[in-house]
Amino acid sequence: MEFSEHIKTANVEDVELRQPLHPPSRGTLCITGHHLLFSDREEGSSRQVLLLLRNIDAIEKSVENLLGYTSFFSHAGHSERTSGSSGTITIKCKDLRVLQLDIPGMEQCLNIAHSIETLSCLDNVSEMYPFFYRPTDLNPQSHRGLSAMETYYGQTKELHERWRLSSVNRAYSVCPSYPPAVIVPNSTDDDVLKRVAKFRQGGRFPVLCYYHRKNGMVIMRSSQPLTGANRKRCKEDELLLQAVIDGSDKGYIIDTRSSQQVQQARITGGGFESKSFYDRWKRLHRQMEKGKALQESLIKLVEACSDESHNMDRWLSKLENSKWLSHVQTALSTAGLLAECVERDGHSALVHGSEGTDCSLLISTLAQLIMDPCCRTLEGFLGLLEREWVEAGHPFQQRCAHSAYSHARLQQESPVFLLLLDCVWQLWRQFPLALGFSEALLLRLATEVYASDYGTFLCNSDQERSALGVKENTYCLFRALLRPTERDIYLNPLYEPTELAIWPSVHPQSLQLWKGFFLRWTQQTRHLEEVQEEIRNMVIEWGKLALS
Amino acid sequence: MEFAELIKTPRVDGVVLHRPFMPTVEGTLCLTGHHLILSSRQDNTEELWLLHSNIDSIEKRFVGSLGSIIVKCKDLRVIQLDIPGMEECLNIASSIEALSTLDSISLMYPFFYRPMFEVIEDGWNSFLPQDAFKDLESMVWTDEWRLSEVNKDFSVCPSYPPLVAVPKDIDDDSLKKVATFRHGGRFPVLSYYHKKNGMVMMRAGQPLTGTNGRRCKEDEKLINATLRPGKRGYIIDTRTINVAQQAKARGGGFESEGNYPQWRRIHKAIERSNVLQESLIKLVEACNDQSHSMDRWLSKLEASNWQTHVKEVLTTACLAAQCIDREGASVLVHGTEGTDSTLLVTSLAQIILDPACRTIKGFQNLVEREWLQAGHPFQQRCAQSAYSNSKPRLEAPVFLLFLDGVWQILRQFPCSFEFTESLLVLLFEHAYASQFGTFLGNSAAGRAKLSLPEKTVSLWSWVNRPQELERLTNPLYEANSLVIWPSVAPQSLLLWEGVFLRWNRSSKSLDEAYDEMVHIIEYNKELQNKVNTLRRQLAQLETEDPLLHTP
Repeated sequence: MEFSEHIKTANVEDVELRQPLHPPSRGTLCITGHHLLFSDREEGSSRQVLLLLRNIDAIEKSVENLLGYTSFFSHAGHSERTSGSSGTITIKCKDLRVLQLDIPGMEQCLNIAHSIETLSCLDNVSEMYPFFYRPTDLNPQSHRGLSAMETYYGQTKELHERWRLSSVNRAYSVCPSYPPAVIVPNSTDDDVLKRVAKFRQGGRFPVLCYYHRKNGMVIMRSSQPLTGANRKRCKEDELLLQAVIDGSDKGYIIDTRSSQQVQQARITGGGFESKSFYDRWKRLHRQMEKGKALQESLIKLVEACSDESHNMDRWLSKLENSKWLSHVQTALSTAGLLAECVERDGHSALVHGSEGTDCSLLISTLAQLIMDPCCRTLEGFLGLLEREWVEAGHPFQQRCAHSAYSHARLQQESPVFLLLLDCVWQLWRQFPLALGFSEALLLRLATEVYASDYGTFLCNSDQERSALGVKENTYCLFRALLRPTERDIYLNPLYEPTELAIWPSVHPQSLQLWKGFFLRWTQQTRHLEEVQEEIRNMVIEWGKLALS
Repeated sequence: MEFAELIKTPRVDGVVLHRPFMPTVEGTLCLTGHHLILSSRQDNTEELWLLHSNIDSIEKRFVGSLGSIIVKCKDLRVIQLDIPGMEECLNIASSIEALSTLDSISLMYPFFYRPMFEVIEDGWNSFLPQDAFKDLESMVWTDEWRLSEVNKDFSVCPSYPPLVAVPKDIDDDSLKKVATFRHGGRFPVLSYYHKKNGMVMMRAGQPLTGTNGRRCKEDEKLINATLRPGKRGYIIDTRTINVAQQAKARGGGFESEGNYPQWRRIHKAIERSNVLQESLIKLVEACNDQSHSMDRWLSKLEASNWQTHVKEVLTTACLAAQCIDREGASVLVHGTEGTDSTLLVTSLAQIILDPACRTIKGFQNLVEREWLQAGHPFQQRCAQSAYSNSKPRLEAPVFLLFLDGVWQILRQFPCSFEFTESLLVLLFEHAYASQFGTFLGNSAAGRAKLSLPEKTVSLWSWVNRPQELERLTNPLYEANSLVIWPSVAPQSLLLWEGVFLRWNRSSKSLDEAYDEMVHIIEYNKELQNKVNTLRRQLAQLETEDPLLHTP
């Protein structure tokens, strides 16, 4: 196997590991094709640290030659320290943990550093660990199972009268980033869809993503229409949207860009739905940051969180400068707006920005959590993620190639999914009883999305995944999380289902930094975790008692 | 009674009350000498009983003949009363203004209040000065320390209690001399004895060295008497070195190395009262800001500096605790007067060091000992809160800052405290406006003169009833005998929502979650009891029936 080319030193003894929340320990370090393994060799304990190389965002090495160093100071002419040289590698992980390895021997240290650097950013998906991971207690994903969208359609019987499941995208030929099955109005046939796809960026024609049972209204999502500078129109697109509101007096289009931005988009071939051609649709603009701006915000925030200056003003102004909480606020308030259109105003809504693979998904997911109690269970939430993120074509591989520590030049990285998890956490904090899952789940997802044993977040679209046989050759994270052994950890012991919509407060005073994630590796969050752990254990104990 | 003169319109019908998180109520507004009452005369609607002394400021608005009074309370709540009739509205407003700013202590409500509950334990007797150090009496420390009655008529130090603990070798005459050398007569006294290693924390007022470096042999002897042979101690001065230097010009000063060679001085920067009051006003203003801008909120929060003060106070308390527990050294804490930042440091350090202070009774004892008996001038400091329009004089939220500090530690160690946040909020409310006499007056001397124990009810009588104790008990509590070191990194300190955002953000869903947690814990206890009973039965059956024994 070709990984071995990159591993010049596979084993080093007598390495010292320093990691947050643990005392330093000495042991053996091994590098394999996908892992860094540290085994503690102290008597009594056999602690191991197994780290996916993929989880490493950046490393820093400092080497010092002790011989040179001592001869500089010693006049006696001889030095007792004959150990020669040593080096320190600082490993900064995508889950924001920072580890330090003190490695004896300069050459070994450099070799290890080199291996980590190369192996942690391999591009070839089929060489990644999920293709090698073989858990004993899970079956491989069966590729004949229903997709999440099909399941949703099957479960939502009320849909069937006016909506159908179309397989126009069966071969990914109409829209490469869509799954094979999508939900569209009954009255719109596949030929129309093909024409609409040509009028929308990336072929992302409007599809249904949520049906509101209380009033029969829906949320649709798509990408921007390609009206361009000369206001091109597309009859079929107009008809499709007309079919969505069928009978109702109007619908809302929530555009995740400002009205200025959409005007500029026309120059590059994009655009928006003009009032004259879509007269029953009311357009609302809410500017949401994405892409580079969001990634930079994350970098600044993480930098602020690891600031050790002990200066309150500095911390608060760095927190403010990072703008992360503003992004959380905008996302939650835009999702609130969408939910208000549907639940309070009683109209259907279409969400899009430019590509329709980032902010649109963020908003539609959050709005569903706000309105739909079914999404708030553990199973429901994972199903929602599968439908609205994995199948809907959020380009995970591009967005999560690097996290906040990387020195590499930014390309397509952007923590949109992390922003989603943060917003869900804010909901969870404001409504501690309403969500069936725990903060631990959000933390797990935040780690897995960047580096995972499972194939769920590999690739950028369903098409890529099917081409590489991801479903056949890797295991599914969501299924693993639902195993009886894991499930308990991710349930909220306080959960009490409510049928009501949960409207988050988006006042700046109501939003908080997600300490559990951003300050996860500092001492002080530990006591809070202990309390949550305690409560969780009690609930599990009851479960056992109830059974026996 | 003379209140009647101040009340021109005692009753108005058809008044509409708006208050946070509650439906509007229409009813009759009545003013009495101490209360503003709104009664809807319907069953099941909650009435409003507001103490005039809880009102910080009011604003009037008129639309036609309909007037509105916006009442801003010291507990940071804001309510609105819509009053039909301009004259009525003006009369009510001027009565509230007059009644809420009465200066005479003896006219205050605690002197008129009669408890509607059964007093099980008279709070005035719960924490007598002679009991404060009782649990230590049996220990070795009595060889080194004694209780002195030198201040029994408050003549040596007007802000000290009649009974203080001092080194055994120092007689009362020396204490009198030392008192003339310390600000306000506050000679060094024992504040805390660390059982684990016998080290102590003392507090005092600044030494009056003045510009020409006056010294006082008795003072040096007194504080050296607290050191074990060959040991050094630390003096924690809550002022920066510059401020301490400047104090010399006004007759104050600090302990110089030359005269106190066995002591190392450490200067910390805890802001003085007027700065704290401004900070509180800015913070509350920021919390009530209705704008939706995240940047604006964060920069206002930063500009208020409140969190910085919380951090400074906690850091200094940790430092004092560290000197005692880790360095094994005794500590003397003072600032200028020794009645504000000094007490912040000594009391928070005890929360960190002493598990007893983390129980409900122990915390009351701490407040009684380190704040009330130690002479924190509550009356002056809590005369006004964040909404007042009058110029602050001696007002300062020092006690609130202490409670915030405790809350931060409690939040970081949710299982180590027997009480919940509710006790802290309760103390905050009662320090500013109360039907109880506990927080009246500025010192033990002042309280003695007012005969509070005879004429008023103690807050502790109310708190130490089973119903109230149940409400205040932390269901997660597991006695932790260790020293608890809070993190003071700015990232670890949070805004105390329970006080500062209490009336802006509904806590309904958080309260529900809390109740659910309490329910889970209670149910768990019940089940555990059941398990134990069953086990006992099983054991009994096994002994009765030998056949059950497995060979």
